[in-house]
Amino acid sequence: MLPFSYALRNLFRDPARLAQTVGGSAIVVLLLVAAVALNQGMDAVLSSSGSPRNVILMGKGSEESIQRSEVHLEAEAIAATSIRGIQEQLGAPSISGEIFYQAPLRTRSGVEEQALLRGVLENALLVHRSVSLREGRFPQSGEIMVGHLAHRKLGVDPSETAIGQSLHFENAEFTIVGIFEAPGTVLESEVWFDRNDLATLSQRDSLSSITIRLAPTADFDDVEVFTFQRNDLELAAIREDHYYDKLGTFYKPIQVMTWVTAALVAAGAIFGGLNTLYAAFAARVKEMATLQSIGYTRKALFVSLIQESLLATLCGTLLALVLAYFLLDGQSVPFSIGTFTLTLTPSVLATGVITGILLGTLGTLPPAYRCLAPTLPTALRSD
Amino acid sequence: MEPLIQINAATKSFQKNKETITPLDSLSLDVAKGEFLSLMGPSGSGKTTLLNLIAGIDSPSAGEIRIHGRDIAKLSRAQLTRWRAEHVGYIFQLYHLVPILSAYENVELPLLLGKWTKAERKAKVMAALELVGLSDRADHRPSELSGGQEQRVAIARAIVHDPALLVADEPTGDLDRESADAILKLLSTLAEEHNKTIIMVTHDPKAAAAAHRALQLEKGQLVTSGHLLNHMPT
Repeated sequence: MLPFSYALRNLFRDPARLAQTVGGSAIVVLLLVAAVALNQGMDAVLSSSGSPRNVILMGKGSEESIQRSEVHLEAEAIAATSIRGIQEQLGAPSISGEIFYQAPLRTRSGVEEQALLRGVLENALLVHRSVSLREGRFPQSGEIMVGHLAHRKLGVDPSETAIGQSLHFENAEFTIVGIFEAPGTVLESEVWFDRNDLATLSQRDSLSSITIRLAPTADFDDVEVFTFQRNDLELAAIREDHYYDKLGTFYKPIQVMTWVTAALVAAGAIFGGLNTLYAAFAARVKEMATLQSIGYTRKALFVSLIQESLLATLCGTLLALVLAYFLLDGQSVPFSIGTFTLTLTPSVLATGVITGILLGTLGTLPPAYRCLAPTLPTALRSD
Repeated sequence: MEPLIQINAATKSFQKNKETITPLDSLSLDVAKGEFLSLMGPSGSGKTTLLNLIAGIDSPSAGEIRIHGRDIAKLSRAQLTRWRAEHVGYIFQLYHLVPILSAYENVELPLLLGKWTKAERKAKVMAALELVGLSDRADHRPSELSGGQEQRVAIARAIVHDPALLVADEPTGDLDRESADAILKLLSTLAEEHNKTIIMVTHDPKAAAAAHRALQLEKGQLVTSGHLLNHMPT
């Protein structure tokens, strides 16, 4: 075998080529890491947002979207007394009738952006167990509390959604009195209103949905039977985690587009890199032939070429991962129903490293073959 | 004395554009151990093809090429590679040194294929560089050497693992007269004092005259059986 130092020193033979290979592989790895982090982040936030113990009652025929759903106001009280197995806390049933609404909010600086508004009463905290107040208190009439990532959805500085600030909705001003968190869920991007305020301003006389938290021993069928028995209420029941799973399928085309875009740009970078390697290896056909005439096998030379490419692509991978750490890790990305966070999880990092290794090995095969394929007499005569 | 090289009716032919090209046509030749043989002839006469067959770089289409009694025409590509590493030193017209390696590292390349220790390699490399008069240039890269010095490093690389056979393809073709003479003197010394068998392709009659015997090839065949130019080894 050729010494490893031969591969190492060959890297620096042509600094421009080295920069191209490292840069090209860094682009490919960074894109794939971003695509994986984006998709994982979206999947994670959707799968964390629903609890298997929560059931959502929605208007029949609008199971696809809470926003389009309408539920009679009295259905909340009827459900609370009729459904068996609702979790109780200090004697209060864990049931929350809510209004969900997407509408523009205006901030102090005049920015007007679509926001996710949820009209709730205090019992919302009984069903949305992941929600906890980070600062302040639960809102009363004329007040709101915001998820700690709501500023990302609004596209404003966090200081504009701090306690004491106000947001405007339909010419009414609401003071922020609380900031909540609900780690890893879409709720963190929402703005929670007093339910009656939101009903008045949105001119609704109905709820969007009723969320029920079941006791550990309770069964989803009990809720479904209720919807059949009270056909007059025109309700449909769906487990909260299933609802978010279904939303996930709605976002699949966006995820596919992410992959396609990443793949197209990566393909460009790969072809550019292959071209660079072809040129670099083509210039060394005679050198490879000389080493063969000395007694080195093609296998040994191939391994050396792979080592050389791997070194370059792994440098690119390292560069990409450093860039990803500073540019992507921890970044929150708003989408239509919330915000998710990009995280460099072990699987995201593994994707980057595997991509770098594949670029260095599979990407080297065609140019290395072309470099080592000619017969020795032909290669020794090459220019 | 048994010849080191015995070539019996070696033919090399290949197809090109549906035409059969035969650069070497049923050639037979014996070369004694320690003999310095030069091959001359016009371009396309088959000199380099013959050199490549003797060096195990190429294989004949027919015939035998026996080196030390072993028919290398029957060896597989992998076997030929191993055989070259042990028995042949190749000297090229344009030196073919690896530009990123120092003179020392270039000369060391054949030794990395063997089982020598680092200390043994160092001793052999320095001895080879000493023999070609370049021990003080061990750390220099090829770009820092003159053409004549590069060729001497290439010769040190060819002899460092002590092969019985040296093949040289126009080793003085790219050198000025003074450097060429120094290289030819070095090759003569290797043949006469170190008992190396040397086959050299050249266009230069003066270079050919440095050999013990010069052969003329035309159209893939020997046109003269060779004449004694210098003292042959006994």
